[in-house]
Amino acid sequence: MKQAFAVKDQAILDAAELVLDEIKAIGADEGETWVSRNVLTELYYELGKISMVRTVFSDKVSVKLLKDKRKGTVNLNSFDPVDIKQAVADAWQSAGAAEPDEAEGIAELHENLSFSAGDEQPDLDKMYGQLVDMIADTNRDFPLISYDSIGIEHNHNEKLYANTNGVRLSDEVGLYQLSNMFIARDGERASSFNYFGTVYKDPSERVLESDRVRRILDETQRQVETEQFEGSFMGDLVIMPGCLENFLWYIGDTYLQDGALISGTSPWKEKLGEQIASPLVNFELIAEHPELPAASNLSGDGYVAENMPLIEDGVLKNFSLSRYGAAKTGLKRSANSVGTFVFGNGDTPLEELIAGVEKGILLGRFSGGQPSPSGDLSGVAKNSFLIENGKVTNPLSEVMIAGNLGDMLRDTVAVSRERENSGYWLLPWVRVKNVTISGK
Amino acid sequence: MLQDHLHEYVRKHGFTGYTELRAQENRNRAVAMLNGSLVSNSSGISRGVSARVVKGGAYGFASATGYGDDVEAIAQIVRAASDNAAFLDRHVQRGQPDFAPVQPFSRTDGFEHDVPVEQSYLLGIVDELDSYIAERFPSLLSRRVFARVLNMEKLLYTSDGVVSHSFVPRSNVYIFMTTQDADGQPVELYKVLGGYGNFPATFKNAEDYFGNLEKQHELLMQKAEGVYAKPGVQTVILDSDLAGILAHEAVGHTVEADFVQTGSIGGPMFGKQVASEKVSLVDIAHTAFGELAPVPVFVDDEGTPALDQMLIENGILTGYMHNKESARKFGHEANGNARAFDFSDEPLIRMRNTCILPGTDKFEDMIASVEDGYLMTDMNNGQADSTGEFMFGVPMGFEIKNGKLGRAIKDTTVSGVAFDILKTADMVSDTVTWTNSGMCGKKQMIPVGMGGPAIKVKINVGGRA
Repeated sequence: MKQAFAVKDQAILDAAELVLDEIKAIGADEGETWVSRNVLTELYYELGKISMVRTVFSDKVSVKLLKDKRKGTVNLNSFDPVDIKQAVADAWQSAGAAEPDEAEGIAELHENLSFSAGDEQPDLDKMYGQLVDMIADTNRDFPLISYDSIGIEHNHNEKLYANTNGVRLSDEVGLYQLSNMFIARDGERASSFNYFGTVYKDPSERVLESDRVRRILDETQRQVETEQFEGSFMGDLVIMPGCLENFLWYIGDTYLQDGALISGTSPWKEKLGEQIASPLVNFELIAEHPELPAASNLSGDGYVAENMPLIEDGVLKNFSLSRYGAAKTGLKRSANSVGTFVFGNGDTPLEELIAGVEKGILLGRFSGGQPSPSGDLSGVAKNSFLIENGKVTNPLSEVMIAGNLGDMLRDTVAVSRERENSGYWLLPWVRVKNVTISGK
Repeated sequence: MLQDHLHEYVRKHGFTGYTELRAQENRNRAVAMLNGSLVSNSSGISRGVSARVVKGGAYGFASATGYGDDVEAIAQIVRAASDNAAFLDRHVQRGQPDFAPVQPFSRTDGFEHDVPVEQSYLLGIVDELDSYIAERFPSLLSRRVFARVLNMEKLLYTSDGVVSHSFVPRSNVYIFMTTQDADGQPVELYKVLGGYGNFPATFKNAEDYFGNLEKQHELLMQKAEGVYAKPGVQTVILDSDLAGILAHEAVGHTVEADFVQTGSIGGPMFGKQVASEKVSLVDIAHTAFGELAPVPVFVDDEGTPALDQMLIENGILTGYMHNKESARKFGHEANGNARAFDFSDEPLIRMRNTCILPGTDKFEDMIASVEDGYLMTDMNNGQADSTGEFMFGVPMGFEIKNGKLGRAIKDTTVSGVAFDILKTADMVSDTVTWTNSGMCGKKQMIPVGMGGPAIKVKINVGGRA
């Protein structure tokens, strides 16, 4: 819900106002603060039993001030006025030792707003019931699955951004989150680790009613017995949605965000408005979406976030730059940052997409090294299957893939009609050609 | 140094049932320069109190920010943890007895390194290093210099009467240099300096490290002219950094007792030959080869005194890493592997300083023994699996042809199944080096040390066809 600025927890506002008063009193030109109060309630399962209930109360304050474009930043986890005054003094001292940077600044005055979503109080009984059902449903339908851990947590967070230009924004969110790690085991044979994460509003939903969850558990069960092959070949990858998420984070880091653009290493730095990918590629950052509860309403530097396309029909439309990154590079500030995103679906049914592969891999997870600044990457294909003559055949182990992220976007030849939803993202299956695939 | 307000709580309230009570402060500082611009200049404190209570085998945990002389605030946290344990105990009714008590003791470690450091000191070191790079290597596409400080202080009281107050400092500087290859593509190489210790003692003068910068630039130029490695199984000498991450990622995780119980390959291989007899692997608690290890742990966060944990002895898998609960289940000794990162984190089974012990081979002889293969010198990240299959990124290495080092190679990845790879280890060098910048992720992040000699193995390389 969006409304005029109003903070629920007065202690948050008091802490923020004290920070700004101190910033002004100490002689800084301008400054900003993030203040938040969070209560985490976690139910944890490990080693065959529900093992722990955990409650974490945490307060956080970050202070940034500028004097003659010299920056000092301090983070603390206390609303105590003595601690806040000390933090501002420390930030002042840091700024005094820093070199000036003309690109530094804070968000200019805009409409002050507040957002809210979800429940403030966790329903621990419902969380417990959901966890018990999830384990029972898994044991019944996927008997080879063995969970290393499952965490169901509720996070209630109210956060406030305030700066000396008069900007005031707040966001109050209460959401549930499920995380886990599991293998399939049959006697002494075991699959690779696998996992799925989900963010949601209602803990009374049964986890195993999700098609995505059932698919991942089913595929993992089929990976207990794997095969290797010898030699290497150039083939196709069919990238599953969870693995695509991993590649999109890499693409953000290597091509689109502050670090790559300020340093000048981004291979796309001069490519705005140009065709950098297959016309099938559509990649958008999300601030608001009816199916994605994890979307954030606020940017990290004091603006209201907006949905924003990065790549549209293969054309680079926007970079994902902070206010500082934009000032530093002369490019436009992003209306969002890579956090919650969608990849546009195509018009190829998944079955047909796989049927078009002569030889390749259905890639479930990528365990790889950090891509090089040029986008080169290599790593191990995990939770994956061989595709031969349009059919998914053996589950694989000890298979490596090597390619280049930019080339992979250009060599995208099909995008599935179907998509999956984690609460953070909405992603399809993507088929890429010409990747080096090597066995033992 | 944290004041001891927990003592007053314990004197006034005592403990009811098995309880760990911990006050903790993580202090950090960060300075980052990107092409001469100061993109980060921050410091931070994370301070708070946590309690973990166990009732009938059900764990309740609670924590809150802030720590002071308000004994009632501490009591509220203990009560919240106790309520959580009671909620779970009502539902699961596991009926397990408390852990066997340990002998009470009290100790203090590491505070001789607790020296105040000003942000301006970090800024000065980073600025000098950055200026040197800018002046000496003006044709670089980009340069980044980061300084990071993480000082962790913990004050632990347990219901067994254990009192431990510890301080563990870590100080690192990261140097990234990027150039372009003949095709105009960016090529990067980074190095990490520093390790255990406070920042002023670790980085007395920036100029002490100018030699490292010259060497790094020389390697980067070689890498820019480098070639892609050949894909498939190759003979590779993994230098110390890679042997260390092999010890951590590929073996260490599979012999953490929680992963063993989930079904890792470390379970069925206990007592069996998992490596060549030249390979011995140990998780060092605090002291190795007469010096402090990179991340010394004297008492873990369950109050267990920390001892070295032998994992592989002359190729035989002989041990697991435990917390109190897994040690009881397996009938083994717990040797201090239960560690928590922040005040709000519960202790998990974690490595401390995993190290392959040195062998007897000379590094030069190892190179000379390879007809066609690679020397891999640097690593950037690694992941492991329950099956023992692992990968790590390799940002620097060289071809070896006819016993001599050849061209540099571009970024690649190596992978394999740990116990298969270690069985191929036929040479182990006689010198160990440590890395101390690693953070291991497993629900929480935590600092770890990794060490090893160079080892010669056959391993799968993710090269280009």
